Amino acid sequence: MATTELLSPYDAGASQRRASITGWLTRGGAALPIVALVLLLPKHSGDWTNDAIFAAIYAMVGLSMNVLVGYTGQISLGQQAFLGIGALTAANVVHSGTNTPDPFTFALGMVCAVAVSAGAAAVLGGIALRIRGLYLALVTLVFGAVTADAVFTIPSLNGNDAGVSAYRPSAIQTDFSYYVFALVMVGLCVYVDVWIRRTKVGRGLIALRDNELVAGAFGINVLGYKLLGFVLSGAMAGLAGGVFAFWSQEFSDKDFTAAAGFNKALIFVVMVVVGGLGNRAGVIAAAAFFALLDPIFSGIASGTGWLNFYTDHKAYISNIIGAVLLLQTVIFNPGGLGQVIRPFTRWFAGHPFSLHDEHGDAAAAALGGGSDVRA
Amino acid sequence: MSVLEVRDLTIRFGGLTAVDGLSLQVNEWEIVGLMGPNGAGKTTAFNCITGFYKADEGHVLYRDRDVTVLPPHRKAALGIARTFQNVGMVKSETVLENLLTAQHTKTGYGPFKALTGASVVRQRERDLAAHADAILELLGLTEFRDWPLGSLSYGTLKLLELGCALATDPDLLLLDEPSSGMGPEESDELGERLLALRRELGVTMLLIEHHVPLVAAVCDYVYVLNFGKLLAQGDPDQVRRHPEVVAAYLGGEAPDALAEALDEETV
Repeated sequence: MATTELLSPYDAGASQRRASITGWLTRGGAALPIVALVLLLPKHSGDWTNDAIFAAIYAMVGLSMNVLVGYTGQISLGQQAFLGIGALTAANVVHSGTNTPDPFTFALGMVCAVAVSAGAAAVLGGIALRIRGLYLALVTLVFGAVTADAVFTIPSLNGNDAGVSAYRPSAIQTDFSYYVFALVMVGLCVYVDVWIRRTKVGRGLIALRDNELVAGAFGINVLGYKLLGFVLSGAMAGLAGGVFAFWSQEFSDKDFTAAAGFNKALIFVVMVVVGGLGNRAGVIAAAAFFALLDPIFSGIASGTGWLNFYTDHKAYISNIIGAVLLLQTVIFNPGGLGQVIRPFTRWFAGHPFSLHDEHGDAAAAALGGGSDVRA
Repeated sequence: MSVLEVRDLTIRFGGLTAVDGLSLQVNEWEIVGLMGPNGAGKTTAFNCITGFYKADEGHVLYRDRDVTVLPPHRKAALGIARTFQNVGMVKSETVLENLLTAQHTKTGYGPFKALTGASVVRQRERDLAAHADAILELLGLTEFRDWPLGSLSYGTLKLLELGCALATDPDLLLLDEPSSGMGPEESDELGERLLALRRELGVTMLLIEHHVPLVAAVCDYVYVLNFGKLLAQGDPDQVRRHPEVVAAYLGGEAPDALAEALDEETV
């Protein structure tokens, strides 16, 4: 680092970011095992590909929760509804029966999944604008349950309870090519998230999360931005839903109703908190962890002869792990997994490696306690 | 033309009339003080002028435009900036990020354009950062640029909050007890700073302030509130000697204080 270049205060922040060429090469080298894990393992192991797509879908849902809970400071116990709305819309728009859809129809299905889910989120957001805390949690919970039970069970939308098939277009027919497609969609969500965080959108959402009065005084339209937070979150979850439909190659209401739906809603909340509210990398890592929990445990159980026991109890096992991690995070580590891995993510972004990062600590502390500014 | 005119403003909370028929006027380039004992309704009046509370009666005019019912963010966009009594900023963000957040209405791009990461957005973000740096330099806070708010002292926070208000590019600045928590020297410095801001940026100000030397040093005109009603108005020296004002601050009955004041004058 050329510290002599830090003469102008205007460049101070920018200069601290730059790593040297060897620095970037080292980072590239260190990233190789991660890239290998993400790309090569699914490529060479058929079982893993399927699970990896599922992890990508969860990563998108995690990012959508991050926008709503992490940045906007709202709560959603009904996020599975947006995933379901996306899946339902994509499958019904494409509606190819047993044929392979053409790329255009497929793209249209994905766009509609995003749009309809964002619209549904706008409706929920509109209701949620003036309520907060426990009541907001209740409204989102009811929204999720009602959407699943009332909309997803309409026979003409769910193939008369038999499911609506959703075959992939020929270009991304194989599991691995579909996985690459899913990763590109995750990349799209990450890109949007990066620009939320870098621009007035994220600053507006975070300001209203911290203190609505201050946000108002700064010229931020508090109600409008809260609604925007819901819409962006719903759009990302809708995209995840579209990917979900073509992953399972059908829309089935049973994935989202009753216990299956509620379990998803619960895991989505747990993973954003365990990942670290407002922390992109942490949330993606936590989402992938919860998505892969079942396949990893099944693998271990079948290797050690406990498969039957695991299969009988797996519903509780993942919930118990989620609950324990949630408690651990809330009590001991409010910054979540993202805070733990932050020295590494910062290093990968070109900063010098440091275990103590004041900003991150402050953000974690701020999330732990509320704001006490009053007008 | 007055920058701000408040006409017969009344705000009630249930049975309590917090502000009762308040009228005041702030002219171009003026620094006007709003004084009064605790609970007099000063902050309530502020909240109403800036749109956080709804007026039960009366009007708020900003440059002859009736803005009584506009929400806070619309008023901020018009150029009415405010600070809070106990420091209002985004606590989980850094100094720089707060100054960027405060420039919300000046970004020049829409929220959906922002998400595309277009080059115009990148350019504007660099401009906003440069403007934030200029404000930090103006206030002598450059060293704190990347600090989280949690590690700043109260005095620095108050100053930074003023910086955030300036970042909104205000035409009218409403300051709620800017000198609270400051010692006499810091408060003198603040007075100099406010006068300099008016000189350099042409900002008109209305401030709630208890610190009499500061009020005397910077204010062109002072209004005194007590129990929600306007008790006195005039230039700072006049108001300071006003018997009812003395009584309101020190307790006791106005006639006694009046008598004492008269005694002093006759002696």
